[in-house]
Amino acid sequence: MENLTIKSFHEGLVAKDFSAREIAEAYLAKIKEQNPSLNAYLSTAEPQALETADAADAAVSEALAKGAPETIPAMTGVPLAIKDNILIKGLPATAASKILERYTASYDAGVTQKLKAARAVFLGKTNMDEFAMGSSTESSAFGITRNPHDADRVPGGSSGGSAAAVAADIAVAAIGSDTGGSIRQPAGLCGVVGFKPTYGAVSRSGLMAMASSLDQIGPLTKTVEDAALLYKAIVGADPLDATSTNEGAIAARTLETLPPLDEVKKLTIGLPKEYFVDGLSKEVSDQVGKAIEKLKKLGFAFKEISLPHTKYALSCYYIVMPAEVSSNLARFDGIRYARIPEVAAAVEKGASLMDVYMKQRGLGFGAEAKRRILLGTFVLSSGYYDAYYEKAQRVRTLITNDFTEAFKEVDVVLTPVTPTPAFKIGEKTADPLSMYLEDIFTIPVNLAGLPGISIPTESYPVGGGRLPVGFQIIGRKWHEADILNIGRWYERN
Amino acid sequence: MSSSIDKDALAHLAKLSRIEYDPGEEQKLLTDLGAILDHFKELQALNTSDVPPMTGGTDLRNALRADDARENTDRGAGTGSFPKSKNGFNDVPAVFE
Repeated sequence: MENLTIKSFHEGLVAKDFSAREIAEAYLAKIKEQNPSLNAYLSTAEPQALETADAADAAVSEALAKGAPETIPAMTGVPLAIKDNILIKGLPATAASKILERYTASYDAGVTQKLKAARAVFLGKTNMDEFAMGSSTESSAFGITRNPHDADRVPGGSSGGSAAAVAADIAVAAIGSDTGGSIRQPAGLCGVVGFKPTYGAVSRSGLMAMASSLDQIGPLTKTVEDAALLYKAIVGADPLDATSTNEGAIAARTLETLPPLDEVKKLTIGLPKEYFVDGLSKEVSDQVGKAIEKLKKLGFAFKEISLPHTKYALSCYYIVMPAEVSSNLARFDGIRYARIPEVAAAVEKGASLMDVYMKQRGLGFGAEAKRRILLGTFVLSSGYYDAYYEKAQRVRTLITNDFTEAFKEVDVVLTPVTPTPAFKIGEKTADPLSMYLEDIFTIPVNLAGLPGISIPTESYPVGGGRLPVGFQIIGRKWHEADILNIGRWYERN
Repeated sequence: MSSSIDKDALAHLAKLSRIEYDPGEEQKLLTDLGAILDHFKELQALNTSDVPPMTGGTDLRNALRADDARENTDRGAGTGSFPKSKNGFNDVPAVFE
């Protein structure tokens, strides 16, 4: 029972080939064996996982006794890995930051509630860049995660633990969050599928906010088919996230059945010339080229398009995002959530409120978090607001308009996910800008609020000796079905 | 956009951000922030005077909950997850000294 997908797990569960408990135990055992070297998980949740697996088995037996296997949700009993910035009541939620090392979640996130209702099994919480800030998982306060394809290389980030767990098959699927590429980029570097839905499709209640106008939760899976199944389980409006709407859930109903290729291939695919330029490595260029050829053979029509403001997206993002970060992370003040040991000791000795703030945040946040908070404070400060923050918001409009224009000519846009395959651990940590450039192909999608998916160009088994390369398909708002259906046909051939 | 962050500006930003930093971190912060701000200069090339700012990720406006009266008796709920709480209240160091 290696490499179970959500789909094959569900089929086996309903056919009683195995129980949810057996599979949960097998995955927990694999985690014990592999996690010391991979460090994909920061914590595991064995007691809760087994309890839920038993409940899933009972629910399956009951449904089968009634002769109603179709009433068993697709996510029942599925062993999942959850990024550590998403809350599961009673479990740690550190966001890979020392500042939350002693924090335990006091409620369930919106996605957690939906997955619990379906009796999905949470194996544990996965490693990430601190507060989702980074592209390599190296900014985690609790150690780096290694790429299952090459232990000397990064898994990408920030959802690096989730991507590594799925690639190494120590989870059937995972949940991550994506602010500038944090689901799609690690998926690309680990050879799995990563899907960022339209802004507002999935509730962010209980997701630690990083940049609220950009953050979105989504699945990391072994197949596009699985991404569609997991997405369907978490999509929908939530009164606790005012930006969430039901448009995504309504549109997702069409995902139940995959339309025939003849229908799907009517979608025209745009290739933005600004994405296929210098700086793209030969491996990526070759592999994405092969993917395009394969889609052409399937009958898809391609058209060159232009997204002229692409080159400004990185600057735009690195102004808008830190501005929101500086505001969102103000809540981690040592008064709420958790206190680091140094501050707890200082409070006992009568430290002032200001001392608590300064020490908790000075000692608790890592270098990248500090850098972004300071940068965000700067671009929002009096005298610089117009030149930086407001300017970036105007550029954001231009980038969004680029896509609006492009979608008049084509239905979806195909691009690389990253300029290179997985890079070496430590290669980019000294120079933050070089790390930021890792996300140049994924950032515009968040700025425009569009859905985007990262799909491996081919199957990359762990141990195969090749570094994975992915390609990205970007769709119109609420047109998740377009990109998922192209991906589903791609992986079937 | 002629601006950079010098030592004094960094100290001011750190105070505004409530972040204490080690003197050993200062030079690296100044260098990194300087390089990032330099990169932003490319935006100057764009004329955006007629472009409206995009102020959020959504077209939704004013998402308000229904104005219904409701009972709320869970005072103190969640304070258990604070570092220190007493009788359903958060226990904090003195605000005024």
